[in-house]
Amino acid sequence: MRSYPELRPSGWDGLVAALVAALAVLCAAVTWTAPAEDSGSLTAVITVDGTEVERIPLDGETEQTVRGNGYTLHVVVTETEVFVASSDCPSQDCVETAPISQPGRSIVCLPARVIIQLEGGAASPDVDAVIG
Amino acid sequence: MKLTTHQLTACAVLTAMALALSYLEGLFPLTAAIPIPGIKLGLANIVTLFALYALGPGQAMLILVARCILGAVFAGNMNALIFSLLGGVTAMAVMIGLSRLRRLSVYGVSIGGAAAHNCGQVAAAVLTLGNGAPVYYLPVLLAVSLLTGALTGLVSASLFRALSHTGIMKG
Repeated sequence: MRSYPELRPSGWDGLVAALVAALAVLCAAVTWTAPAEDSGSLTAVITVDGTEVERIPLDGETEQTVRGNGYTLHVVVTETEVFVASSDCPSQDCVETAPISQPGRSIVCLPARVIIQLEGGAASPDVDAVIG
Repeated sequence: MKLTTHQLTACAVLTAMALALSYLEGLFPLTAAIPIPGIKLGLANIVTLFALYALGPGQAMLILVARCILGAVFAGNMNALIFSLLGGVTAMAVMIGLSRLRRLSVYGVSIGGAAAHNCGQVAAAVLTLGNGAPVYYLPVLLAVSLLTGALTGLVSASLFRALSHTGIMKG
């Protein structure tokens, strides 16, 4: 059915906006609050095309070259943060992403299929109890 | 689907306009103003919204798919096709559903479509990467889609108002 659309926003449009906002908050609550534990040193985990290729602890300044899907990324790991210094991918989203420093955060390069994720807790007290 | 010459021409012109708008948007990236990776205005959605009301869901879908395929060919990046298709088709499905609700205006339909587009793109990212990391961006993308959806809704409403005397809406 073709119809002439309603052109003035009403409360029902507000309801749609509120639903989208609620979905955003719900999604944020689920994904952003994951590892709240303070877990010592951080590790940058680099994944290319679904396989883990590198684990770099954040204990000094290193630069890592990551190749994926024909593109090359230069990842800089410092004592406090990780960022992509340069990439030859077309979208440059990974380079524009702000440096990450919290566990659970990630930088994604879609064209290169690279994910850089920060994991906390390379320190061993991940054990519940030691017996004997 | 059988199209009259009039409908075929309208589809072709709208496809070309959608492609031009996508290209235009690439010249003024929203990421330059708001540094969140992956966000964009979604100006091509104005064409989709217009086609949905003026030509119906079938032709609107035809225009959308043609735009996605041609856009990927012109960009020389077929990897991007799954992203634009999944985002576009999800948005289309949601907008077709919402446009049937008589009480909703183009604003509500546009915001729903923009949000669905982001959900579809994040789903495509999760699928191609085989990792849930992209979901992390979804709340930000959804928040931005409220603004971009309202903006494209505003432009579409002005467009419908400006074209109301032409009788184009009667097909």
